[in-house]
Amino acid sequence: MSNKALAAGLGNCPQCHKLNVMHAEKQACSRCLTVFSTRKPKSLEYTLAWTIAALVMFIPANLYPMMVFYTLGKPDASTILEGIAIFIQMGMLPVAIIIFIASFVVPLSKIMGLFTLMYNAKRKTKLTLKQQGKLYHVVEFLGPWSMLDVFVVTVMAAVVNLGFLTSVEVASGITYFTLMVVFTIFAAESFDPRLLWDNHQKHNHRITETNPKYNNKDELPHGK
Amino acid sequence: MRNNSVVNHMIACNQCDSLLPKPILSEGQNALCGCCGAMLFSKKKDAINRTIAVAIAGLVLFFPATLLPIIGISAAGLYNDASLLDCITILINSKNYIIAFAVFMFTIAIPSVRLITALYISSCIKFNRVKPSLLVFFRSYHLLDTWTMVHVFFMGVIVSMYKLSSLADMTIDGGLLSLVLLLVCSTLVSVTMDEHSIWDELEKSLEQ
Repeated sequence: MSNKALAAGLGNCPQCHKLNVMHAEKQACSRCLTVFSTRKPKSLEYTLAWTIAALVMFIPANLYPMMVFYTLGKPDASTILEGIAIFIQMGMLPVAIIIFIASFVVPLSKIMGLFTLMYNAKRKTKLTLKQQGKLYHVVEFLGPWSMLDVFVVTVMAAVVNLGFLTSVEVASGITYFTLMVVFTIFAAESFDPRLLWDNHQKHNHRITETNPKYNNKDELPHGK
Repeated sequence: MRNNSVVNHMIACNQCDSLLPKPILSEGQNALCGCCGAMLFSKKKDAINRTIAVAIAGLVLFFPATLLPIIGISAAGLYNDASLLDCITILINSKNYIIAFAVFMFTIAIPSVRLITALYISSCIKFNRVKPSLLVFFRSYHLLDTWTMVHVFFMGVIVSMYKLSSLADMTIDGGLLSLVLLLVCSTLVSVTMDEHSIWDELEKSLEQ
């Protein structure tokens, strides 16, 4: 189980996936010249920071209205949850479910998933490695899909524009919502899934710390 | 360079960092990690020609997809429709600059840059004109992958169509069809593009 590239003093380029002989903690890939490390530096710290920022943005995104609906000049502002309640009252259950999942369940479960991943990378957990890997893939896949509600409101505001009769205006909540989505994507990008495997090895195979030795005597590929 | 020859025949899994011997694939095969099951790389059929064809089609479709109206509604004798560009101008007019910027980047700027990059790299390789600048282009192509959101925008249009159909008479315009075709092209580019062999190709040509 210890046939890891890190232990052999090798590093995988995150951009072009070429295996490099590591001469230092940080170096340029011999193929695509991307500067990278064997593990993303301070991965957990960055992920935690972005996730907390997203969690903070989640609060105003739900408190402020997403859009204002004008019917015969009378404004009617609604937040995400109020909008869903209106749809249920109107009997449009499928739309209510789609909006509820896309703009409330998905962002919240993404933030929770990121916290679970960060915990798994640090402590011993009951989740198997397969489940952890799946969780990471789901969080990564969900990234852009939370933007759904932003696009819906944008299209609504552009199309429903019949002057005095009915019109839709974008409200301030959507800005916070967009920022939250962007922050969670940054959080998922800065998380290094290899930490999950490193941590599993540390806890289950009694290998204290994989300390990489960069004692490769070869010439630097781009030296001089 | 004793160590380098070893490195060229090995591959590390991007997800769990397992060190594995690099398999030699024939066209249409995938290589999976034996430890965690993540995909290592795959070799695709006729990748360069297909990528060029799909990228050109996608770039042509960008004009109708952004300029033609997507959907329109009519109620009490009034009619209004909106294209993708109208969505962005309305956001700018109502001073929502952050969302206007985000929508513009995710649905127009990033997808088009990605298609142009795919076209440029593939045609340079096809006509044997590999330059060091291609490395920068191909790296940016990788970076932009997460930020392409044409598919999410399309889903947003579908949801708002459902919402609007109960509100007023709704008409579907040519923009929607172009948007569907553009979505097909931008997805197909990631399917046809054989990133692994392009990297190998670039490495081989630039070493000389």
